[in-house]
Amino acid sequence: MSYIAVMTDHIYLGELEQIVLLAVLRLKDEAYAIPILDQIETQTGRKIARGALYTALDRLEAKGCLRSRVGEPLPERGGRARRYFTVTPAALHALKHSRASLLRLWRGLESLLER
Amino acid sequence: MHAPGPPRAAEWLIALSFRRVHERDMVLGDLHEEYVGHSMRQGADRWYWRQAISIAAHALARRIPADSTPHRSGDFFMRIFLKDVKYAWRSLLKRPLLTVTVATTLAFGLGANAAIFNLIDRLVFRPFPLADPDRTVLISETGPRLDYGNKETVSPANFIDWRNTADTVTHLSALLWWDANLVERNNPERVQGTQVSWGFLDALGMRPALGRGFVRDDETFGRHHVAIVSDALWKRRFGGDPALIGRSITIDGDPYQVVGIGPPRFAFPDGSELWAPLAFDPKQAPRRDIRYLTVIGRVQPARTVDDVQNQMSVIADRLAREYPDANRDHGVRVLTLTRGIMDQGTGPLLSLWQASALVVLLIACANIANLMLARTTERRRETAVRLALGASRGRVVRELLTESTLLALIAVPPAIAFAWVALHMMRISMPARILRFVPGVERLGPDPRLLAFTIGLALITALVFGVLPALQAAKSRVSEALKDGGRTTGRQLLRRVIVVAEMSIALPLLVAAGLGVLGTHRFLNGPQGYDPDGLLTMKLVLPERTYADDSARRRFVERAMETLVSVPGVEHAAAVNNLPAAGSNSSRAIEIDGHPAVDPKNPPVVDNRVATPDYFTTMRIPIQRGRAFSIADREGAAPVAIISESMAKKYWPGEDPVGHRLRIGKDPWMTVVGICGDVIQDWFDRRNVPTLYRPIAQSPSDYFGIVVRTAGNPAAIAASVRHALLRVDATQPVFEMMSMRVQLKERTIGLQYLAAIMTVFAGLALLLAVVGLYAVMAYMMTQRRHEIGIRIALGASPRDIARLTVGQAARLTAIGAAIGFALSLALGRLVQAGLLGIATNDGRVSVVFGLVLVASALVASYLPARRAAAIDPLVALRAE
Repeated sequence: MSYIAVMTDHIYLGELEQIVLLAVLRLKDEAYAIPILDQIETQTGRKIARGALYTALDRLEAKGCLRSRVGEPLPERGGRARRYFTVTPAALHALKHSRASLLRLWRGLESLLER
Repeated sequence: MHAPGPPRAAEWLIALSFRRVHERDMVLGDLHEEYVGHSMRQGADRWYWRQAISIAAHALARRIPADSTPHRSGDFFMRIFLKDVKYAWRSLLKRPLLTVTVATTLAFGLGANAAIFNLIDRLVFRPFPLADPDRTVLISETGPRLDYGNKETVSPANFIDWRNTADTVTHLSALLWWDANLVERNNPERVQGTQVSWGFLDALGMRPALGRGFVRDDETFGRHHVAIVSDALWKRRFGGDPALIGRSITIDGDPYQVVGIGPPRFAFPDGSELWAPLAFDPKQAPRRDIRYLTVIGRVQPARTVDDVQNQMSVIADRLAREYPDANRDHGVRVLTLTRGIMDQGTGPLLSLWQASALVVLLIACANIANLMLARTTERRRETAVRLALGASRGRVVRELLTESTLLALIAVPPAIAFAWVALHMMRISMPARILRFVPGVERLGPDPRLLAFTIGLALITALVFGVLPALQAAKSRVSEALKDGGRTTGRQLLRRVIVVAEMSIALPLLVAAGLGVLGTHRFLNGPQGYDPDGLLTMKLVLPERTYADDSARRRFVERAMETLVSVPGVEHAAAVNNLPAAGSNSSRAIEIDGHPAVDPKNPPVVDNRVATPDYFTTMRIPIQRGRAFSIADREGAAPVAIISESMAKKYWPGEDPVGHRLRIGKDPWMTVVGICGDVIQDWFDRRNVPTLYRPIAQSPSDYFGIVVRTAGNPAAIAASVRHALLRVDATQPVFEMMSMRVQLKERTIGLQYLAAIMTVFAGLALLLAVVGLYAVMAYMMTQRRHEIGIRIALGASPRDIARLTVGQAARLTAIGAAIGFALSLALGRLVQAGLLGIATNDGRVSVVFGLVLVASALVASYLPARRAAAIDPLVALRAE
């Protein structure tokens, strides 16, 4: 456990990165770029550039937040395989940490939301 | 059925953007998958392209290190700079389409300039691949009868005196054009050679690749039959065999011992392939009155070109005093070889090209400035917020300028690629015969200087198109910009001024191109004074050894003519010393009986042609008065002459010259027996000039062109004509055999380049100017939607609205065209010089192209006008 704790100190997640990680988590085994993009759009109403998503995926993988595996080659992809992503335990920990911090900060401010 | 795949080029763009294969495959696969979904609908390809450009831009951005800037205090400015670059890069990425449009426009503008710069750099500044070219000088005599461009100006005795006395310059070497007939294994070939003094290679700072150069002893008359063979000739004719050194080869019927092989690619001057010592025979050496040598030398290490000029002037003064008959009024001019040997005309021509390329770039800049202005307007609020939050105006300006600079630099690689392609196309379309007279052309292509020039120009360009928008952005008042729907008028005015400026500088370019095309067309297809169709031409040089005297030369010509007319397909055949459009000329000073020259030292000079009797029939040059030559006009008969119409008008104004007499020097008087039509000998400088024709039998020449008329295709009889001439003399090479049409085309190649390049430039300028107008009109329409909506709501008809917009465009174009018209008249002289005098700007061409400009502008403004007329007032008003 101490290993993850050390990691979390070093993983800083930007907003887009958190969004991407959450979308990957929601998609479970089916998380590759196209549904990730859909998921983000339907859940947040935000349209993000495809190029920005690829950059984020690449960065997250480099940071150790995502792992990827390659599926079967498919004819509708011009014979190329899909690349599926899963969230690493370290990233999951960082997400939880981030959520907890935010919730703590929100505590006592509920009245603001009512207004 | 197999569904069509995504656009290939877009896929390729993506593939290029990713270094890692797995990532590339993922992206391509994802896009492919979605493309299949999209392909059911329209615009799938466009969708794919948009994605591809955006993805490529992001992928590129990723390669720029984001936060790798070291946080050391020393590089504070560097950090700010990198921050600016990063910010600029991101803002460019936000608008990939705009970025690509601007970069493409710039790439064309910069590329055109880069190509012309390379031409000027290689052809004018550094034409020779010499070690230290500015240490080699060209020394010419100056005098009342010597043109500036003339390079063959020095007499043998003067040269020998120079060489013996001058010490600021070493290796003084005289050069003499040498048409060498090389016979090797019974295969005669005419080879371009030069006879040179012994210091020749040293004067140029070169060494032979094999063997030795010439030494002083080689110049001794009688021992001078040694030769240096060029690397190219050595490989072509002798298989690159090193054993050639020391062997004997036959040139002009004499044995020459090969002593050296030239350095690779060395072909100075004029594509020479053979060099032999220039040895003056005892009759030639003391002559001062005939000037036919080109002299070069190497400046002594501690001396300058000016030192050489000063010393040579002193020597020339002394020679003028000692030999006043030949040398009075003669001086010496010393120029570096590069400057001295440049063709006149090249300078103005290339200047015109560079000026045109700059105009294209300027118009491109104007367009880009307009786009950027539109962008600044869109970002007004963003800028205002930043200013309100405390960003300094300096920072805002700096960021926008960084953005412009980045944009300009992105355009550099495609610009250089564009220039390279253009230069390559130019070189492969130039005939080899012409190519060898253009020193430097073989080395055209990108080099560090070109790169430096293009980057420098790109930076200047960035400033030109970036300053206005940046200043506009910084000027924006926070309070006003944040107000909703705030409108600005100043910016609109600025944009209109830019469009007017574009139009006005595009017009002179259009006019110049139009004049170039008209002039070239006239010279290629207009009347030449003879009928160039169905003519086959070739050249011959009779060597002195086999044709030592006039009667031998006369016999050769007679037999050649007899043999040629018996060839099937040949209708007429003739010989003349200089064929039209063949690039050579001969002229003589004449004296006219009864009209003594006003200044005896400056007698009239006319072009000199000696021809066989059938020349006029063969060429179809009309005899306007009197008669043509006949076989009776032979050696020993009364000397006769035919003069051209222009010569008759100039020297016998208002008189009939037939029956009058004239002579060359102290030769016997000749009687004018006929007047013939004028001929364009050369489009550059010999158009319808006074010309004197004499029978070749009365004045034999050892070099001449042969021209054969056939009813059919001249190329079809080429082989049989060549065989017929070999029957007359099997060792006599015939060279440059081609139809007169091809000859004309090759001779006017410079003109065709001129017309083509000017047309490309003018086309680009027109396109850019019209697109610029379109963009401004379209933008103004969107800005005025509200107003137009109100107008329509108040009852304005679509026609009224269209008239409103087209009218505005017409006003802008009219102002632009008027200024352009004035500019094109003002620049007329520059244009005329650049067009080598082939066309005069008479104003009519300007008017025609002014109308073309106006018409294209109106077409461009029609689209936004139609869109404006279709505005739904409800929608327009609600949008506010």
